[in-house]
Amino acid sequence: MFMIKTEDLCKNFGELKVLKNCSLSVEQGEVVCLIGPSGAGKSTFLRSLNHLEKITSGKIWVEEVLLDDRIDSVNQIKMSAKERQKSLLEMGMVFQRFNLFPHLTVFENIMLAPMEVRKMKRAEAEVIVRNLLEKVGLSDKADTYPSKLSGGQQQRVAIARALAMQPKMMLFDEPTSALDPELVGEVLQVMKDLAEEGMTMIVVTHEMGFAKEVADRVVFMYEGTILEVDTPEVIFTNPTNERTKAFLNSVLNL
Amino acid sequence: MKQKQKWKLTTFLNKYKVWFIVIAALIVVCIPLALTTPGVEDFKSQVPTEFNQLEAKKESEVFKNGGIMSTYIATKQISSSSVERIAFLGIAGHVFHADGGVSQFFANSITWFPSLMDGTKITVLLTLFSVTTGIFLSIFLALGKMSKIKPISWFCRGYIFFFRGTPLLMQLYFIWFGIPLIIPALTISDRFLAAWIAFSLNGGAYCAEIIRAAIESIDKGQFEASKAVGLNYRQTMIKVIIPQTYRRLIPPLANEFIMVLKDAALTSIIALKDLSKVTSSIMSSTGEVTVFLLAMIIYLVITAIFSKCFVLLEKKFSLYD
Repeated sequence: MFMIKTEDLCKNFGELKVLKNCSLSVEQGEVVCLIGPSGAGKSTFLRSLNHLEKITSGKIWVEEVLLDDRIDSVNQIKMSAKERQKSLLEMGMVFQRFNLFPHLTVFENIMLAPMEVRKMKRAEAEVIVRNLLEKVGLSDKADTYPSKLSGGQQQRVAIARALAMQPKMMLFDEPTSALDPELVGEVLQVMKDLAEEGMTMIVVTHEMGFAKEVADRVVFMYEGTILEVDTPEVIFTNPTNERTKAFLNSVLNL
Repeated sequence: MKQKQKWKLTTFLNKYKVWFIVIAALIVVCIPLALTTPGVEDFKSQVPTEFNQLEAKKESEVFKNGGIMSTYIATKQISSSSVERIAFLGIAGHVFHADGGVSQFFANSITWFPSLMDGTKITVLLTLFSVTTGIFLSIFLALGKMSKIKPISWFCRGYIFFFRGTPLLMQLYFIWFGIPLIIPALTISDRFLAAWIAFSLNGGAYCAEIIRAAIESIDKGQFEASKAVGLNYRQTMIKVIIPQTYRRLIPPLANEFIMVLKDAALTSIIALKDLSKVTSSIMSSTGEVTVFLLAMIIYLVITAIFSKCFVLLEKKFSLYD
């Protein structure tokens, strides 16, 4: 059973075609890594799943619910805002630049959405936040403001914030690209733990090691199209597409 | 919790130690001054003989009931139209001549001080009231201007365009003189109220642009992150975006505040007795031009006090940096 599925997803920024007929299906509990050169449309693809970008045409399903069906930017399905919101809440998103709320402490950052959106009681939300902070290893930083944290710690808070909405699926948009090299490991570790717990994850990443080790499937994107989808073993050892070979050569043989 | 408060109080006391000492010293100095009020007799003994036959008048006192300082004016009729005045300054049990230079200015200042204070009260109240209502109004105008609902957006655009594009002076004219002629039912009979309304409507337009700029300066990632965790527009604005604008709003709003404080002088056209109006009427009635110096000092003191408040506010809101 698929968790999220896209069919012929297209996205134009004016004349520029960023995504061209991207079709992908992600199973429940699967970890999919999107790799490819910059400008390939990886981030745009991920963001359009979460409605941060409006797609030009194509279909998106979330757990059998047809969330998007557009032809030439015209929405074909009428869906109530509430239903759409429900499906969108199944996806948690982690950004490259963390995007934590700077005026709130770590604790408040994580607690805001459960209380505002899920209308949870304070005591109930606090239990969830404590558990999540423990999970990402930041229990002692609960009352700190984000500006006092390192990049790695901030990204772990961002992951906890997304998890607080109890999503069924997590989208990671280059979660380690803005980090100092020595801080990458702690974030990847949290993501590995998540994958082991069976969370469905779609990860845009430049960390080939992570893709090799954790991913169930690796998707190679190039100039707005999905060129190759396969297990990491095949992609990293025996890719069929010439573009994939060239990309991996330039990335791995530095 | 209690301990935290106690700790805060002691740091507060420590921080302003110098000021507490200065205030205490002033109080100590003032006590003997207050106890030895110079009397009218002291003054009479100093007045030259040709003035002596004329009536001596105690003109004013600083601090009522006892008075630390007081001024006396002796007058002599020279001709039917001109009067010669000698001013005396009574302080700490002595009466001094104050008929020239600094001492005269000082003595005059004491005379003028009470009426200037009445004007100051009106200026400060008008500024505080109209900036407060103006900011309140401007939040709706700013959000309205950014609204996706076209009629609301157009209305707010038109409002801001009108009130920023026409002089405050004419808006004030319109509310005080124009409306009673055109729509008698909406006549505003209180001068202060009319000024308050005009300044609020005008300030709202200016503050709206300040607030809109502050909201638009917030990183786009904040909107995206809010959307990603499921917050709707209202929740995003109230819980995430607007709290982040507070600190950025303080400097331009402080600027606006000081502008309004000085623009309050415009209310003299509807005969509201604000600080500037009082100053100019003292000038024209006594012929003493120096009163504007004192008025300037008062303006500076008010500005300094409020600037300090705004700096403290800014510090409060930048806690998280």
